[in-house]
Amino acid sequence: MTGQDVGDPQWSDWMAAAQAGDQQAFVRLLSVALPIVRRMVAKRRQGLRDQEDVVQEVLLTLHVVRHTYDPARPFLPWLAAIVAHRCADAGRRDTHRVRQTSNIDDLPETIGAVETNMLAMDSAALHRAMATLPEGQRKALELVKLREMSLSEASTASGMSEGALKVAVHRAIKALKGILGP
Amino acid sequence: MNTEDLIAQLGRQVVPVKRLAPPLHRLMRGLAVMVPLLALIVVVMGPRADLAERLTDPGFAIAHVAAIATGLCAAWAALASTVPGISAWRLALPVLPALVWLGSVGMGCLRDWVVRGTDSLVPAIHPQCLPEIAIISIVPISVLMVLLRRGAALNPGRTAVLAALAASALASATLDLFHHAEAAIIVLVWHFGGVVMLSAVFGLMGQRLFPPPLPR
Repeated sequence: MTGQDVGDPQWSDWMAAAQAGDQQAFVRLLSVALPIVRRMVAKRRQGLRDQEDVVQEVLLTLHVVRHTYDPARPFLPWLAAIVAHRCADAGRRDTHRVRQTSNIDDLPETIGAVETNMLAMDSAALHRAMATLPEGQRKALELVKLREMSLSEASTASGMSEGALKVAVHRAIKALKGILGP
Repeated sequence: MNTEDLIAQLGRQVVPVKRLAPPLHRLMRGLAVMVPLLALIVVVMGPRADLAERLTDPGFAIAHVAAIATGLCAAWAALASTVPGISAWRLALPVLPALVWLGSVGMGCLRDWVVRGTDSLVPAIHPQCLPEIAIISIVPISVLMVLLRRGAALNPGRTAVLAALAASALASATLDLFHHAEAAIIVLVWHFGGVVMLSAVFGLMGQRLFPPPLPR
């Protein structure tokens, strides 16, 4: 343990163990880091209701980029940079949402399909669920479904065969259904 | 999904990962590929006949070394920018050699202006050297892209600017070795200006070049 982490939990050791594939060390690290992340996010997004969403995005990002952590360096600045990045992203989303929103005084009628609207609004949950997929499935889903590439283009971009892409997309959708529910 | 469930789920997905090497190590690996390729370009194009003489000219030598230093510092900074938590002031490292480069080229322009007046500006009209710099940049930018994509570019625009600055500064220094650009104004406008322009263009493409770790 080094520098600014002195006196804190054994972040570096846990991260090094997680990088080596130790699942328990990673769960312990995330559990101990959770209140710290919540405080950091609360400070940056005071009064906003999506704080827990951003906390979850921080944990997912930490999971995806855990290979970039160097155990010889302090952990908290690394974590703080990820928190700052996700909060900035959330801020950009807010700005985008405000720009896309028009104030309407009287709304004579609205779209009846409430369920469809609910699903459309839950893109953050979808992104979080996607981040939990294995790398190959996430990549395949992102290229084929989100970026709307053809199988041939996605194959070139990812280096996966078209057959493997089809299987990965199928499995990813099945897994997402399991995570997000019916 | 509540956060505790998410933690449990992420824990179950942990597999061993290959740790990213420190930026300096990655830079050394990159240079091991880049330098021979850039040297090959100089050999194929044929080093300029007056190279030995030019390297003894302090103005040329300082500008050349400053361009190389800008390229190396920018490459290190680009690689460091893909490691969360490295302070922003360390990423500003290439500013210093870039200022030395700009200053030495600017002094050359000033000397030409004193001797030739407005005639010294004429060579800048034609876009000389820029295509060559752009083409040579393909070598270092390709190597850097491979190295950078292994990291996490949380600020893709900044990473792209630094990578393009590194590649184009190294390309400009390479071009110095086989291409005659006698007028300092050409170096200022088409070498230094070209480097700035390529960096800006890459900066705008940052999001595409370095997709975020999670979908936005």
